[in-house]
Amino acid sequence: MAKIEKRLPFWQRESFTPFVLLFPAILTLVLVVLLPLLFSLYTSFTGYRLIRPDSLYNFVGFRNYERIFTDWDFWVAFGRTVLFLTIALNLEFLFGLGIALLINRITWGQRTLRTIMMFPMMFSPILVGYQFKFIFNDNIGVLNNALQSLGLSDGAIPWLVDKHLAMGSIIVAEVWMSTSIFAILLLAGLFAMPRDPLEAAKVDGCNPWQVFRHITLPFLMPFAFIAMTIRSLDVARAYDIVDVMTGGGPAGRTELLWTLIARVGYDNSRMGQANAMAYVSILLSIAFTYYFFRKLIAARRYMGGAN
Amino acid sequence: MSSALKKRIGKAVTWALTFLLMLIICMPGLWVVLTGFRPNREVLAKPAVWIPEELSLNNFAQIFGFGAEQVAIPVPAYFTNSLIIALTSTAIAILIGMSGGYAFARFRFRFKDGIFLGLMLSRTVPGIALSLPVFMIWSRIGLIDTKPGLIIVYVALNIPFTIWLIDGFFRQIPKEMSEAAQVDGCTRWQAFWKIEFPLARSGIASAAIFAFLTSWNEYALASQLTRSTDSKTLPVGLMDFTAQFTIDWAGMSAMAVIIIVPALILTFIVQKHLISGLTFGGVKG
Amino acid sequence: MAEIKLQNVVKKYGQLEVVHGIGLDIAHNEFVVLVGPSGCGKSTTLRMIAGLEEISDGTISIGPQVVNELPPRKRNISMVFQNYALYPHMSVRENLGFGLKIAKQPEAVVADRVREAAEILGLEELLERTPAELSGGQRQRVAMGRAIVRHPEAFLFDEPLSNLDAKLRVQMRTEIKKLHQRVKTTVVYVTHDQVEAMTLADRIVVMKDGWIEQVGTPMEVFNHPLNTFVASFIGSPPMNLIDAQITGDKIRLSDGTHLPVPERLENHVREGQEVVFGLRPDDLTPQGHGIAENGHRASVELTVELAELLGTETILYTRINGSEVLGKMFDPRDVSPGERMTFNISLDKVHLFDAQTQKSVRLG
Repeated sequence: MAKIEKRLPFWQRESFTPFVLLFPAILTLVLVVLLPLLFSLYTSFTGYRLIRPDSLYNFVGFRNYERIFTDWDFWVAFGRTVLFLTIALNLEFLFGLGIALLINRITWGQRTLRTIMMFPMMFSPILVGYQFKFIFNDNIGVLNNALQSLGLSDGAIPWLVDKHLAMGSIIVAEVWMSTSIFAILLLAGLFAMPRDPLEAAKVDGCNPWQVFRHITLPFLMPFAFIAMTIRSLDVARAYDIVDVMTGGGPAGRTELLWTLIARVGYDNSRMGQANAMAYVSILLSIAFTYYFFRKLIAARRYMGGAN
Repeated sequence: MSSALKKRIGKAVTWALTFLLMLIICMPGLWVVLTGFRPNREVLAKPAVWIPEELSLNNFAQIFGFGAEQVAIPVPAYFTNSLIIALTSTAIAILIGMSGGYAFARFRFRFKDGIFLGLMLSRTVPGIALSLPVFMIWSRIGLIDTKPGLIIVYVALNIPFTIWLIDGFFRQIPKEMSEAAQVDGCTRWQAFWKIEFPLARSGIASAAIFAFLTSWNEYALASQLTRSTDSKTLPVGLMDFTAQFTIDWAGMSAMAVIIIVPALILTFIVQKHLISGLTFGGVKG
Repeated sequence: MAEIKLQNVVKKYGQLEVVHGIGLDIAHNEFVVLVGPSGCGKSTTLRMIAGLEEISDGTISIGPQVVNELPPRKRNISMVFQNYALYPHMSVRENLGFGLKIAKQPEAVVADRVREAAEILGLEELLERTPAELSGGQRQRVAMGRAIVRHPEAFLFDEPLSNLDAKLRVQMRTEIKKLHQRVKTTVVYVTHDQVEAMTLADRIVVMKDGWIEQVGTPMEVFNHPLNTFVASFIGSPPMNLIDAQITGDKIRLSDGTHLPVPERLENHVREGQEVVFGLRPDDLTPQGHGIAENGHRASVELTVELAELLGTETILYTRINGSEVLGKMFDPRDVSPGERMTFNISLDKVHLFDAQTQKSVRLG
């Protein structure tokens, strides 16, 4: 059909159809994501401040980057963010696995349980934050009220004010919100699990733990990595939670990379520097996603012809 | 211990754990909902009032401006904004996503994996990081604090995931369906609308619901790109309460209920398709 | 009316050429089966005829018209897919009528044709069901019904029986044959199963690696394979192929056994030629257990390693110079492994292929 390809205008050729179909998607993302990111890359090399528009053309080279790399607050926030994600993601995976195994054992009402399990995933992060702000409130929060009513504590425990407790409270909120995606996908994995290898392993003399460790878990890993990949697409939703619960405070004790960016960019209106930080946070996100995406592909290959 | 007894204990433990789990998942939300129906003084009472003495719709009436006390927060405007912005951006994102998802599901082309990865990576950009340049550009071209300004951003936000889901749903439909229709006399366009679209419809609907919820729930971008009642959405509006001198917990909870309810209903409708969509897209790659 | 002509048809995916300029003339109302191992290009060829794959070079015509540039819908053909491709959201009636509805035929015509097809295939009772409610064989029938309602110029079948269990496959095979006798149309049928090819075809096209190896009636292809590939692909169990050399008027097998060169092949071989000696298991039978024991014969003594009982016959596994050789025992008796038996070779049925070209020596 080479002859025909030449006769048709290029946009009518079969080989061009997918690009026509993808054009709106690519165009939108170029306009709304790629171009702004290029612009912000540029501004990260300027001393742009919102209140002084002409400073957009004030080129400062790598000074913003130098400044943030020598800025102790930035590194603290960065380290805290990485720690926060590590703890949260691991807890989410462990709880998700536990919940999936639990629900898998239940036969009656399983569908209902599964639906209920999905609710936190659909909650607005801002609501999750608000909800836990309400629960952890030192004065009228339900947690302190409960502790007091049960006589376990006299005073008001400052859940959202104390340095360690505040971070812990935020992690609780984050884990509450995102565990379900792990639970649901791992449960789907358990449903899809073929029975033969399980039975073969039992016949071969494995005890339940060995069966789990050597058969079930490897089979579930790709599902865990799908969950991780999906999660890593929106780790920055934690911004909403922190913003509503503590606003990064008290005194920067719960400051994550994202709240720091917002503070520097909007409150201090130092856009250039904020953009430099934003770039670091973007690279962090991409690294997370890329890492899990590779793991997903590797795990899928490991499962081999199963699909 | 007899094995029958062991089994019974195991079952009891399973149920106890499940009950605890459901409690942890449901309680926070239910507590907020309950608070939405209680008067503020009961919420703030010391020592705590556990059994509600008074439940009413007063809080809702107030935040919608019907009550005796006026609340300074224009919830009806926020609600309308949220609805318009979420619905419009979902409709556009689904059209674009359907076209893109179909391309990935049905065609082989150059740079396919690269383009797919690129689309997904665009979604990883943290909202707050994206908001900085978008804020600067939108300010210059007059899109700041407008509904279209936010709609465009949400469309872009929803495209990658919509494509991921819809791609999966189309791939579940054998290619032969469309080929059979073409042999039966359809153009490719007809084959799509008469065969493939009806078969993927429920999947596309769930992708739409997911996109709607993403827009409905979004906060990081909306909090920076909106300023006034012209475009502020409910999640941003919720933060208005915290700006007041004393937090109106009851009113805030009533507003939270308004945000939660659509999410719960839609989740209920969509759950089955969403799970199959997510796993299919990921595992079968 | 509707003969199908392929001239020098090439299919490339990028740099990779999967069909290498094949030519084929299919006569009006002829039942042609494309057969070959997977990856031989048979399905690609069928899909090119259907218009589902673009052709990279050459021409395809259906009837008088060159269809290279026509989309599937304009070729007036119908196709039965391997997994049937029934529209799951439509009833059987809607499935059958879909093509006619798309062609904007009046409703009365649609109803008439659907009834006619349902009657031919015995689908009257199932018209209101959806595909999910049908058994495998019923789905298969609906897929064929969808093909016949449109009265197309040609039917294309793409491995239509491979998803059925063995028993149903035999049954549907007969039905397809009957259908063709009733609805006279050109048929192009793709399968990897040589039994299907033998039983259904007016003519068989054997393909391998994107080339046509042989075209002929089932008997031609079976009795006169043009090369070792066709020889071993058609017939079950496959033809025994043993390395040999021509010495004088004898064929010397690799184990040293000498057999006379059959008269009909004498003029086709030369002294010292390296050949492949081909013999179907049916023509290697223990003394007293062959079908026809007349004609030119030779005999060899072989050790039976394994006997496979099939009832009316027993397959005997033996070995000549290390390579496995199969024989057949008709009217069988018990055979124990290790038993030495004298086998008759029907010299009239011997095939000789040139060792270098792997082609039948009769080709020159």
